Amino acid sequence: MRYLPSAPSEDRALLDAIGVERAEDLLKGIPPELRLNRDLELPPQASELDVLRTMTALAAQNRRFTARFLGAGAYDHFVPTAVDMITSREEWFTAYTPYQPEVAQGTLQAIFEYQTLICDLTGLEVTNASMYDGATATVEAALMAVRQAKKKNTILISQGLHPHYQEVLCTNITPHEGLKLVQVALKDGVTDLDDLKAKLGPDVACVMVGYPNFLGCVEDLKAISDIVKPAGALLVSVTQEAMAFGWLEGPGKLGADMACGEAMSFGNYVNFGGPFLGFLAVKDAYKREIPGRLIGQTKDLDGQTGYVLTLASREQHIRRDKATSNICSNQALVALRANIYLQLAGPEGLKGIAEQNAAKAQYLRQRLLELPAFEAVYDQPFFNEFVLRYTGDVKAMQKACSDEGILAGLDLSPYATTLQGCTLWCATETTTRAQIEHLVEVLARIPSLG
Amino acid sequence: MALRTRESLIFESSVPGKIGMDLPKLDVPAATDTRPTHLKRNAFEALPSCSEVDVIRHFTRLSKWNFGLDDGMYPLGSCTMKHNPRLNEKTAALPGFTESHPMAQDIHVQGNLALMFTLQEWLKEITGLPAVTLHPSAGAAGELTGVMLMRAYHLSKGAHRRVILIPDSGHGTNPATAAMAGYDVVELPSREDGTISFEDVTDPSTGKIRKGFATLVAELGNEIAGAMITNPNTLGIFEYRIKEIADILHGIGALLYMDGANMNALVGTARPGDFGVDVMHLNLHKTFSTPHGGGGPGSGPVACIAALEPFLPRPVIVRETAKVGEGEVPKHAYRLDWDRPESMGKVHAFFGNFGIVVRAMTYCLSHGGDGLKAATLRAIVNANYIRKELTGVYHLEYDTPTLHEIVFDDSIQTKKGVSTLDIAKRLLEYGFHPPTIYFPLIVHGALMIEPTESESKQEMDAFIDAMKKIAQEADENPDILHQAPTTTVVRRLDETTAARKPILRWTKA
Repeated sequence: MRYLPSAPSEDRALLDAIGVERAEDLLKGIPPELRLNRDLELPPQASELDVLRTMTALAAQNRRFTARFLGAGAYDHFVPTAVDMITSREEWFTAYTPYQPEVAQGTLQAIFEYQTLICDLTGLEVTNASMYDGATATVEAALMAVRQAKKKNTILISQGLHPHYQEVLCTNITPHEGLKLVQVALKDGVTDLDDLKAKLGPDVACVMVGYPNFLGCVEDLKAISDIVKPAGALLVSVTQEAMAFGWLEGPGKLGADMACGEAMSFGNYVNFGGPFLGFLAVKDAYKREIPGRLIGQTKDLDGQTGYVLTLASREQHIRRDKATSNICSNQALVALRANIYLQLAGPEGLKGIAEQNAAKAQYLRQRLLELPAFEAVYDQPFFNEFVLRYTGDVKAMQKACSDEGILAGLDLSPYATTLQGCTLWCATETTTRAQIEHLVEVLARIPSLG
Repeated sequence: MALRTRESLIFESSVPGKIGMDLPKLDVPAATDTRPTHLKRNAFEALPSCSEVDVIRHFTRLSKWNFGLDDGMYPLGSCTMKHNPRLNEKTAALPGFTESHPMAQDIHVQGNLALMFTLQEWLKEITGLPAVTLHPSAGAAGELTGVMLMRAYHLSKGAHRRVILIPDSGHGTNPATAAMAGYDVVELPSREDGTISFEDVTDPSTGKIRKGFATLVAELGNEIAGAMITNPNTLGIFEYRIKEIADILHGIGALLYMDGANMNALVGTARPGDFGVDVMHLNLHKTFSTPHGGGGPGSGPVACIAALEPFLPRPVIVRETAKVGEGEVPKHAYRLDWDRPESMGKVHAFFGNFGIVVRAMTYCLSHGGDGLKAATLRAIVNANYIRKELTGVYHLEYDTPTLHEIVFDDSIQTKKGVSTLDIAKRLLEYGFHPPTIYFPLIVHGALMIEPTESESKQEMDAFIDAMKKIAQEADENPDILHQAPTTTVVRRLDETTAARKPILRWTKA
């Protein structure tokens, strides 16, 4: 086994030093009847070359597409080479959680910079070192809002939240007796303000709104804030596509008390949905309630600036069952990728990328609407995703696309009865005009319903 | 060559106009601005302007202040800092995987589904449990999934049980998880050999009686949903009465959850499913060699008994079968089954940290069944070698046989005013990452050492030598230890001020 530092003479020396004949003798703490007295029924060890062949063959069983128009929570953005190169350094990817700050200043300073950038993008004051993904960050935001609001027990969620986020929220809120999740309806693709007003009682701890939402529509957070604030509830924005922050104002500047969501778009691949990057940013007033790790700036004995894990009294290893969350491992390396990405892009780059996303999505929508089979559904501003109704057979249309190496938009039919025949399309800076024209050509060839 | 000892925050070296990333020229008409004015992104306050060179140098310099696994021995107890094979990184970066979209149709991601299904089969054989989900993103997420499975099971029987029993030696995530799943936590005391006490225990410092497992079961009965037990426990000791604990719990309709953080001691030697465990999580970032990444991402698969399977997070992967004569044979075709009426629901937006799952599968294939067992045995040998060499130099509170890790403490050194923290900081100057310190909580001044199977005799001898020298220094010149470290990029940091007046981001002066 190539990874084991085993040599017969040394193995013997180790056993002799311990004073046992065989390694198995050290299992004496396990009662014999509880041991596995047979070999594992698994294939034998394999060479590096053999394993690479096996894994390459598995990867090849996935269908690869030359053009991809699917987003819905996982976005295809360009990953600059420097991101992969930097994060392949062992000092970054093999290190543990920075519990010994004197030998982890690299990780600690990098997370401090990451925290600064997430605060800048969201327009809020405090963020943690990362959460698992957009869905679990949404759960933590809701639980935090409920803790903050003390006796209020209702969480209002806009139906525009990603349906998977809604389901994960439901999974995690259900065990808490007394807490209620209530949906607010949509109207023309955005949160229905009349329904929101009707449901915004004194028991509401927070209101969670997609920004942009699952259907790609940009919600007017300011208008929502103006309704939520007087009712004494917290406003939480949920962003499944953080690249939109290059196009849209930070939620904190529009009245949100917390912003959470998914930031995989900064320097990561779609990777079958993970590892992704959950973020949760809050107003300064809530910093002692936020879950997860926080990095703070301080001085060492000689007065030099350094960084440490801080406010740990919120966390599970200190507070046990009174902790703000059970989270321990987070998505640190994914946060590092986002950090590198954002530093490479800078303010001009990020705005430029966002503008390209908007331009490509608008062009894609315009070209699709020129085809008789597509109809507009909502009249709302959007960033890089939008909904169109397809009047033909959606599954057949997707099949026609995949036969031509194109990953078509998402079939929304399973998500709501009101979305029958609707499809969700996405374009990013990686989408080319030629890909869009090819898509249009393929779609135009599909026989019409006649 | 001397390394730079200062690297300013990137924000301080930003020069407007610089850029480190560019894009092809826009090949479609510019966007029409449909945003209401107040929703338009205003200026950024911190986002820096740098060239690619600036950014690469920044992160390269910062990286040199980190101690990584390839810099030397990293014996963090309970963390299983084993070698991170480079092949795993290569396979996880195959474009067939990285480009695959989580909302794509099943027919387009057959490779991913086959891989996940196969790893589940391996984990079933390793744990002796018949069902596995790969969705949880980390150990704590696995715990939460596991405890919610227990909850769903009890609810299906119409029972509202409110209590979870957790040993005082358990990881902090256990009680935090139980609380997140809506349970009350009742602590189980440890006995003098470091295992769970069935009998009541008198706390020597307070004189208070702490109820043992048998008493708690008798008193709380069907209030108990289950127990969360780490095995081997955080002292590296196998809970030798685990089967009896399981039988007693099952007798009152409760379940046994096992925290699998220490599974590196059991792979190929004993299977939780064979000693009464109903549900457990594994840490792919510990036992299965996936990198820690400076804090994550990890992956925390959950394995469980058949009675819990209907409640697993959805979707689950199903292998298609073909009819052959009277019977059915498995096909090389897989699908995601979303139609799971009893499922606890989703626990992640998609399927968890898939990239980590690819790495763990690669590790499994490399090792095979025989290599996995060889790794376990070597990990146990290594821990016992260090135990043998350092016993007497450092105090060993529990002298019960241990498996993959060993917990010493500072009680010999405190006589000279030297603490575990001093020992850890001095170890940095000898070029080693310190062990886990001050955990488990039941050992005062704990030094928890887990060498893993990756360490050679030479590396361990150097570590043992350093630990012995430090013990000698503690005796002869304790001030060296109090001052340590002096050779690192920063010295000991003021954590009190950091918490009292938190500075959690950079702001423009």
